[in-house]
Amino acid sequence: MSEGLRLDGLTKRYGGNAALQGVTLAVPDDTYISVLGPSGSGKTVLLRVIAGFEQPDAGEVRFAGERIDQMPAHRRGIGFVFQNFALFPHLSVRDNIAFGLRHRDVSPLSDSGALRAKVDAMIDLVGLGGLADRGVHQISGGQRQRVALARTLVTEPRLVLLDEPLGALDANLRSRMRAELRQIRERLGVTFLHVTGSESEALAMGDRVIVLDRGRVGQFDEPDAVYTQPASANVARFLNCYNIFAGHLDGGRFMAAGGAFVLPNARRAAPEPAYCIRQDLIDIRPSDAAMRAGETGLVARFVTSEYSGSSVQYFFEVEGGRAVEVEAHLSHRRPEDLEPKRPYTLAWHADQALVFG
Amino acid sequence: MQGPVIKPALAVYTGLFILFLYGPFFVLGILSFQTGPEGGPQFPIVEWSTYWYRHILGLTPPSRIAPLPIGEALVRSLVLAFMTMVVSTLLGVLSAQAFRSRFKGSGVVFYLIVLGMMVPGVLVGLGMALVANTLGIDRTWWGTAFVLHVVYTFPFAFLVMLAIFNRFDASVEEAAWSLGVSPARTFRHVTFPLIWPGVLSAMLFAFTLSYDEFSRTLFASGRELTLPLAIYGTFSVEIHPNVFAFGVLTTLFSFALLAVYAILMGLSVRRARRLAIQEDIT
Repeated sequence: MSEGLRLDGLTKRYGGNAALQGVTLAVPDDTYISVLGPSGSGKTVLLRVIAGFEQPDAGEVRFAGERIDQMPAHRRGIGFVFQNFALFPHLSVRDNIAFGLRHRDVSPLSDSGALRAKVDAMIDLVGLGGLADRGVHQISGGQRQRVALARTLVTEPRLVLLDEPLGALDANLRSRMRAELRQIRERLGVTFLHVTGSESEALAMGDRVIVLDRGRVGQFDEPDAVYTQPASANVARFLNCYNIFAGHLDGGRFMAAGGAFVLPNARRAAPEPAYCIRQDLIDIRPSDAAMRAGETGLVARFVTSEYSGSSVQYFFEVEGGRAVEVEAHLSHRRPEDLEPKRPYTLAWHADQALVFG
Repeated sequence: MQGPVIKPALAVYTGLFILFLYGPFFVLGILSFQTGPEGGPQFPIVEWSTYWYRHILGLTPPSRIAPLPIGEALVRSLVLAFMTMVVSTLLGVLSAQAFRSRFKGSGVVFYLIVLGMMVPGVLVGLGMALVANTLGIDRTWWGTAFVLHVVYTFPFAFLVMLAIFNRFDASVEEAAWSLGVSPARTFRHVTFPLIWPGVLSAMLFAFTLSYDEFSRTLFASGRELTLPLAIYGTFSVEIHPNVFAFGVLTTLFSFALLAVYAILMGLSVRRARRLAIQEDIT
């Protein structure tokens, strides 16, 4: 696999705040990479620095072996798809897509026949047939998304940066575009770097996932590794499917507000001790039920539940007001009738927890 | 609670406002149809006629009232207004573009530019005359006066363009760059078409302000007069209704200018609006 994009110690500050703090990464060619991070984690800045819209304060960006961080944006050969699409409002769909080929610095396409053929092929590829002569305000959000993508892909960049490309679409369209984006990318063999704030989008789309944590790479791994083995408590937090307890280690136990948990065999070093248990690994039982062998858990008061079709999210509260969430998949069990304000035992296998500290 | 009182009050206020705005023009318009050459610039109308209009165009038999010395002045004013419009709009667009990114000393530069429309015209005109005399430069409408017109109208063009760029979504430019298009071509093919309505407004501002300018031109233009100066010069002798007739013609010219502006603006906005409406339907 050839070397695609390589970042080395990339740092960017705004005033006193560091948006990127020494980001070092190597992204292979022909892959779909998703970048997950909460707002303020620096994910958009990362894309903008790679694209050349912002200058890094320190560090290097290398692309295909060449150092590009001092190169102007239009010479990098890196495509960018904006969250708001940033289509040219004064041009038709066809002219939007043809814009790059027609006006670019390097080998612009002036032959109108060849230009038309390329643009038409791209219009077909993204499924915009019949809309070519419409204005970009005359088409729906999903179609605009496709125009933005087609406009970028037709110039044949080797790397495409997508900044929350599905953020402006409604839920229905979003899930359809997920599959389409992956298909289109596979057909063209380019690298996609897809920034998103949605953990499900990141896990579903990326061949590998970069998790950004306050301007640093928190984890860079395959989706299931990120999901089941988050590298830190913060990564676990961004995944939005873990209960995370702060506390301290005391002998063989993790002491947290609300309970003392039996430690699993493995444990990762971290400056801040944290105990993480995935929401769908927790079993709900009557408060007088005893723990089974190898289990640990706590007693919490039921607050409310949220039904979402295939699963139910239960919300509990431990002594001191801390919330604990349990996710139950309805294909495995029936929804339980829990009584608000009554205490229940929440139990899980001690070995399934992740402990940092 | 406010309906019954506020609405009639606002209606009266609006009526008065319009009266004061257009009243002088109506008086001017009516008196311009006074008979001539013996009819004066006052009521009552002795007899309705188009004598004074013909007088301006030199179509009346010679009389004791000299024709208005405005032919050349009009041409000068139009040329000067056009030159001012081009230069001020260009400067306005470029400087507003510069202000899109904060640079060191941008605050100072901003006030320096805006100063041009703040300082009293008489002072600037006088100052320019003194400077020209000291340096031995001839005062001309196309030289010293032109510079002052640009200094005066440039801030207006600048402020208009600043407002336009304020609402401008810079991501379309970044999108063009990411497609391999150079910043220069991006400006030509993306930025400029999108700011064109604003450029038109800036041009209109610069043209009308220059065409109408009096106090700065008075001291800085030298012997050859621009239109406002020429008209003012006729007042000092005796006022005849030919000035009114000319006023009506000038106003009609201004409306024609506005109409051109409206048409150009309409052409560039119409498409966007049509598309926006269709978007609401779909």
